[in-house]
Amino acid sequence: MKKIIKKVLLSAALVAVSASSTSYAGKVIDTVIDNKLLVVATNSDYRPNSFLGDKNELEGFDIDVSREVAKRLGVAVKFVTPGWEIMTAGRWMGRWHMAVGSMTPTVKRAEVLDFPAVYYFTPAGFAVHKDAKAKSISDLNGKVIGVVSTSTYHRYLQKNLNIDALGTPPFEYQVTPGDIRLYGDVNEFDDLALGEGVRLDAIMQSLPVIKQAIAKGIPVKTLGAPVFYEPLAIAIDKGDAQFGNKIAGIIETMKADGSLTAFSLKWHGADYVSVK
Amino acid sequence: MNNSILNISLNRGTARIKAALFLGIIAFVIAFSVSVNSTAIAELLRPAMSPEVLSGMWGRVSCAFVMGIVVSILTYFLLALPEKLQSRLVWGLLAIGALSAFYSFDLSFTFIGNKIPFLISQGAVTTIYVSAISILLAFIFAMLGATAKLSGISILKGIGDFYTSYFRGVPLLVQLFLIYLGLPQLGLVIDPIPAAIAALSLVYGAYMTEIFRSGIQSISMGQWEAADALGLARMRTFQKVILPQAMRLIVPPTGNQFIAMLKDSSLVSVVGVWDIMFIARTQGRADFKILEMLITASIIYWMMSMLLEVLQNRIESHYAKSLKH
Repeated sequence: MKKIIKKVLLSAALVAVSASSTSYAGKVIDTVIDNKLLVVATNSDYRPNSFLGDKNELEGFDIDVSREVAKRLGVAVKFVTPGWEIMTAGRWMGRWHMAVGSMTPTVKRAEVLDFPAVYYFTPAGFAVHKDAKAKSISDLNGKVIGVVSTSTYHRYLQKNLNIDALGTPPFEYQVTPGDIRLYGDVNEFDDLALGEGVRLDAIMQSLPVIKQAIAKGIPVKTLGAPVFYEPLAIAIDKGDAQFGNKIAGIIETMKADGSLTAFSLKWHGADYVSVK
Repeated sequence: MNNSILNISLNRGTARIKAALFLGIIAFVIAFSVSVNSTAIAELLRPAMSPEVLSGMWGRVSCAFVMGIVVSILTYFLLALPEKLQSRLVWGLLAIGALSAFYSFDLSFTFIGNKIPFLISQGAVTTIYVSAISILLAFIFAMLGATAKLSGISILKGIGDFYTSYFRGVPLLVQLFLIYLGLPQLGLVIDPIPAAIAALSLVYGAYMTEIFRSGIQSISMGQWEAADALGLARMRTFQKVILPQAMRLIVPPTGNQFIAMLKDSSLVSVVGVWDIMFIARTQGRADFKILEMLITASIIYWMMSMLLEVLQNRIESHYAKSLKH
């Protein structure tokens, strides 16, 4: 009887161990090469990085980078647009191979995802209504600030932003908001456009997005200088170092031959590839 | 013989005048409280009233007053028309009112015009086929569920009870996430569209199980007993006697569920299915014109719901044949 129990326990432990240590080493890269298809998860509404353009196809900086990576891998590329929460949750189960969605490699995200390569940096800043009285960022203390839920800007406002990527410039928390309003499906710019203090006093976003909003005629303006520069990285599912090295190598050569900078100039109107 | 709740005739006499005045006052109050003089509707009064007259508190009162009078007169003449025409005309006027309210939002129509083809060719098509498959499956689940619950076999009843309890009790959005994110943990990696269809059909199947069950149970015991007395087998009684009568009670709330599902299918956009809502949100957000896209999406949803309403009326009158003598 004891023997049987021992056997059962042993085999149960074996099953548990083999299940917990699912190793993906080399698995993703093999699927990509075998199927000649790289499936990339990205955003669909993040102008100018990835958005549905006039031709109803995805375009933008992230899209161009993904296409180039696929080209250098010698495979075709396909885009999927899962929600941001799903993309950042990890455990992709092979649904897509990498995420090129202007994702910041925070410590928290690194617990569920690997970030093999930083491909550009984005300045983050504040925007206020164009008739706003606020003169400097310190005027925003105690005010209502809108921000995309679970974004790095959200963490910044909570004074809880940990970016563990190499080369991240140091920064200080310059604002203590009175209230943080979170946005997901509703655009925070729409609420700010209603006027200063109607629903929001300010919003925090990446500078390229704020610039796009101004260009699209939204009555907002930037306030002060960028408060931090965040690195943005390509994300892959945990545990496939071989795939990660391959991606890192490709991004390295794209930096060296200037193709990344060319994409950045095309979509951002400035070189965000190397931090200034 | 009619079965209306009120037996008031508003076609003539003081009742007609009172009704007209009453609606006029309501129109005045609404127009006043939304300061109608500052909206596009005031533009219609521009030929008769100068901009100065239309501005300020006095403009607000006078503009609302004009609106009240217009509604009163309109109602007065409307009440003289044949009844069927009356309700259709009122529907039409309210629809025009709703659309002109949208119109007054100062929207970019060229933007809507550019985006509408894709919203229909990609978004509406996806919404329709996801809803259609889900509706079909929900109907099957509901049939099975109701049959199980009423089968008189305890194990089947237990399964049916659990099904309706769980799937009615957990929000659709949570179900969708559980199916999409949870099943892969069990080794079954499921695509967004099948996950969406599974969630929609299971949840709506659970609601409809209860509709079917209550419809079937509302047929009196006498019908079963009479069929028993005639020597009809139970299953045959159910098919030929009970179900046709129950359908009359089942169809209206089921139609309701179908319309609700059509709109709830917009939840699937969160897992990246390119349905109407996804396209509307995406295009609207990318170009900072979310209101344009939401209103366009709402009109498309509304038109699709109206088609379902027509369908429901057809089916209802089919099963109501037994009531006509």
